[in-house]
Amino acid sequence: MFSLGIASPYARRMNDLDVGGEDDTALARRILARAPGRDAVAEAELCRRLGPRIRLFGLKHLRNEAAAADLVQDVLVVLLTKLRDGAVRDPGQVVSFVLGTARQMVVDGRRTGARRGRLLEAFQLDVQPGDDGAPEPLDTARLGRCLAMLPERERAVLVMTFYDDRPADAVAAELGLKAGHVRVIRHRGLGRLRDCMAAPERQS
Amino acid sequence: MTRMMCPAIPTQALLAWWLGELDEHEEARLDGHLLACATCAAVLREIVALGRAIRGAGPRGGFSAVLPRLFIERLKSDGLQVREYELEPGGSVACTVTGDDDLVVSYLRVPLRGVDRLDLLVHDPVLGTLRLDDVPFDPASGGVAVVPDIAHLRTLGRSRHRMQLVAVEGAAERVLADYTFDHSPS
Repeated sequence: MFSLGIASPYARRMNDLDVGGEDDTALARRILARAPGRDAVAEAELCRRLGPRIRLFGLKHLRNEAAAADLVQDVLVVLLTKLRDGAVRDPGQVVSFVLGTARQMVVDGRRTGARRGRLLEAFQLDVQPGDDGAPEPLDTARLGRCLAMLPERERAVLVMTFYDDRPADAVAAELGLKAGHVRVIRHRGLGRLRDCMAAPERQS
Repeated sequence: MTRMMCPAIPTQALLAWWLGELDEHEEARLDGHLLACATCAAVLREIVALGRAIRGAGPRGGFSAVLPRLFIERLKSDGLQVREYELEPGGSVACTVTGDDDLVVSYLRVPLRGVDRLDLLVHDPVLGTLRLDDVPFDPASGGVAVVPDIAHLRTLGRSRHRMQLVAVEGAAERVLADYTFDHSPS
C-alpha cells in the first residue's frame, strides 16, 4: 500500500548520493540540520529504513495488515513533522521517538478515520516507507516439500503455531505436552525448515 | 557515519516476542530492539513470512500431518471446508475428496493410555508403505487425526488404502489397530 515504488524519484537519488550507509541517527541529524528546509533524500532513506520495522511492530501489536500499514504511515508523518520543525532535540533518540510514538498510537487506538484524514491532508507524505530487505516471495511447492521432510512432531508444532500465531503453552495444551518441550520442537523444526528453504534444490 | 551493528538476538527470542510469550519487561526491550536493529527485524520478518506461508499451505497440499482434534475444530470454525471420516479400530470407510474440500481428516480412534511413542504406517497403492515416526498425540484423546496430502488424494483413482497405528516400546512394536479406506474419486 505504501511501498517505495521502483519508479520513485527518491530511489535513484538515494543511490546517487549514497546515503544508504548512514545510520538512523545520522539521517535524523541531516534532516534536522536542514530544518525548516527539507532534505528529501535523507527523509526518503529514513522512511525506507524505518518503515518495515514499524510495520513489524504494528503487526505484532495490532495483528492486522491494514492497521499496521496505517501505523507506519502515521508514525512516519509525525516523525518527519517533528524533524522538519526541529522539534526532536537529540537525533540519537530518533528510534526511541519512533517507539514511543508507535506505542502511544497503538495504546490510544486514536487513528480514527477523521484524524488520519486531517493529518494526511495537512502533511503530504511524499516520501514513503519502503520494504527494504523484504523476504522474497516463497516457493510454496518447495515449502510443501520441506514441510514433508520434517519429523512429524516438528511439522505438527509448526503448523499449529503459525496457523494463528499460537504461543507454546496453547500448542502444548492441545498436544498434551509441556510448553518447554513445544519450544524445543518448534526451534528445531523452524531451523530445519529455514535451512531446507535456503538450500539449493537438487536437480531431479 | 556508518550503520551501527546491533547484538544479534536468538531466533527463539524473536519468535517468542512475535508469539507474545515474553514477560512485559522483555517484550518492551525487544520492541525497542526490533525498531533499532534492521538485521534482527529482517530475520523476524523472514520467519513471519514463512509462518504465513505455512498457514496457507495446508489446503494447497504437499504434505500430510497428524494434528489434534481441537486444532481441526479451530480450522472448521474459521471456515475451512473439512471432510471428516471417523474410524474405530479395525474399521473401514468409503471415502472421497471433492474440489470444495480444503482438508480431509481421518480420526483414527484407539485407546492410547500407556503408549509412549506412536508410529503411523500408511499403505498407499501409489506411494507404497510410508512410516510416520513418533507422531504427536495426547494419550487422553483416544485417537489421532490424520490429515493426508490433499493434492495427492485428488490424483487417486478408485483404490484401497490402509493405515496402522503402532505402539513402539523400546525395540518392540505392537500394532494397536488397522483402518481401511476405500477411496473413490468424486
